[in-house]
Amino acid sequence: VAYVTPCRAMTPERKAEKTMTQSADRPKSPVAAHPITSAAIAILVIATIFFTVYVPIYARITPKVGDFPFFYFYLLIFMPITSVALWIVVQLQKRLGTPSSEEQS
Amino acid sequence: MSNVNTTTFTIVVALFVIVTGAGFAAARWRRASDMMHLDEWGLGGRSFGTFITWFLLGGDLYTAYTFIAVPALVFGSGSIGFYAVSYTIMVFPIVLIFLPRLWSVSRVHGYVTPADFIRGRYGSRGLALASAFTGILALMPYIALQLVGIKAVLTVMGVNSSSTNTYVKDLPLFIAFVVLAIFTYVSGLRAPALIAFIKDTLIYLFVIVAVFYIPTRMGGWSHIFGTAQTHFNSISPTTHKPIGTFVPTSKSIGSTQFDFASLALGSAVALFLYPHAITGTLAARRRSVVKRNMIYLPLYSVLLALIALFGYMAVADPVTAANVKKANNAQLAVPYLFQHMFPSWFTGIAFAGIIIGALVPAAIMSIAAANLFTRNIFKEFFKQDASPRLQTQMSQWASLVVKLGALLFAVELPQTFSINLQLLGGVWILQLAPMLIGGLFTRWFHRWALLTGWFTGMIYGTICAYNVKNATTSHWAASSDIVFGHTIYIGLSAVVLNLVVAVVLTVVLKAARVPEGADETLPHQYTADPEEAPAPVPATV
Repeated sequence: VAYVTPCRAMTPERKAEKTMTQSADRPKSPVAAHPITSAAIAILVIATIFFTVYVPIYARITPKVGDFPFFYFYLLIFMPITSVALWIVVQLQKRLGTPSSEEQS
Repeated sequence: MSNVNTTTFTIVVALFVIVTGAGFAAARWRRASDMMHLDEWGLGGRSFGTFITWFLLGGDLYTAYTFIAVPALVFGSGSIGFYAVSYTIMVFPIVLIFLPRLWSVSRVHGYVTPADFIRGRYGSRGLALASAFTGILALMPYIALQLVGIKAVLTVMGVNSSSTNTYVKDLPLFIAFVVLAIFTYVSGLRAPALIAFIKDTLIYLFVIVAVFYIPTRMGGWSHIFGTAQTHFNSISPTTHKPIGTFVPTSKSIGSTQFDFASLALGSAVALFLYPHAITGTLAARRRSVVKRNMIYLPLYSVLLALIALFGYMAVADPVTAANVKKANNAQLAVPYLFQHMFPSWFTGIAFAGIIIGALVPAAIMSIAAANLFTRNIFKEFFKQDASPRLQTQMSQWASLVVKLGALLFAVELPQTFSINLQLLGGVWILQLAPMLIGGLFTRWFHRWALLTGWFTGMIYGTICAYNVKNATTSHWAASSDIVFGHTIYIGLSAVVLNLVVAVVLTVVLKAARVPEGADETLPHQYTADPEEAPAPVPATV
């Protein structure tokens, strides 16, 4: 129990953040209320990290895209992909209930 | 000064004058009624929207030294230099997990520095001091390296090669730094925020032009990649190993994939533990501004990737490669490449971009270090009732002292010393991860356990980095070491050790019922999004 790896710690803590937005009088946490949205957020965040951290996926010369070896093409194309993925994450987080509306209620 | 190109020199000076003007004018930009408050001088009034924050953080994180050092590493060792590209991609999903929480809790409680948060969360002055100390220690050599970036450009311009006297030789550097120091003192964070627009415009301009123009002069990308591949696969006569790697290798001998991944991951986690990155974040107006920037900032990484590719262009261009070899300094790769490839007026624009690119992060870093000193050392230990006005004055003076220290670093000490210290700075700053990132999610950790873990990580990381050797140097050869048969970034192995110590000791201290300290934060404050900045915090806490 004591040896929590950083990678595993991310998911439950991400969910814990959602839980904390819940005010005391509400029966269900946003995570429990939106299980699919929450799972999609977790998967998107973990996937963007995994596909850059796990180097063997892209540490190869072929296939070349144009004149670019795969390694360099992949790194370039993954930046806009990350942007889009994080945009989706932020949109999904709004569906969980924005923290500011919690503050006002 | 005999071989200075007049056109290049004139353009650099003209752009520098424009930037100086902007730096002073920034004091009047988005002016508040009372400027003598750290929220104003040190955080630009906590008022920046998505657009300004994007330029500020972009100008802050992608420093001149990065633009010089990353292509230099690519020029010398090949694909391993692209870890910087990989890390600036993965940093944003990682940071999206914890940075909005830090913004919210800092906004609610009026925290100016990360150490303010540590103090409030754990009720521990000692732990806050440890984190402030680490932050200042890591920032000093980083500021010094911005000067190294300026120096590389000045050397290629031929400005500082005529005299043997250090002080005459580095006179342009002194002038640049005195100007920087004064406008930071006057305008605070508003100065780099405004200058960042000019910096980014110049850098985007020269990078995009270079990426489309230089390959046409060199037989296209296929020639550049082909030459680089042949070059890095050839066997070095001194070490009898390949010179570098064209893509990270997985073979057991000289495996670089694990090294690549751990360097990238460690640096990604470390980036937003640096106080200057947090300063840029806390200046944002709303929580959504921080989140939106995590979406848009990866586009800035495209720029870094293209700049890294300049390293291969320098390898493929025989004149540049010969110049760099003659100077025996890989950091001159990009300046020499531009000088050889571009007409002198455009070289001037590119060089000015790099010099101004050094001023923006240097200003923010000195502000961040000054705030740490004022809030977490001066106010905490010497004058608990310091008024907001006194705190601001203290920070202004501290920013001057910090920059003076960095200047001495850059001029008096050998350049390799600053570089080694900066590598160590990354290892050190990563040791804040358990207390800072951990603290944003859980109060489970015990303050003394975190302090011991931090200390263990600092000592282990420093000793490991000291003991790394290679063919040419006996110490400080790299920031990676071999652990369990894998080459791994020392910062990452040290922070794992740090975490294990913190976890084990927390269990022990909790069992022994050692007092845990008061937590002034509440769970809902970590997701709060107040529209108005908090009223100035009373002097006593």
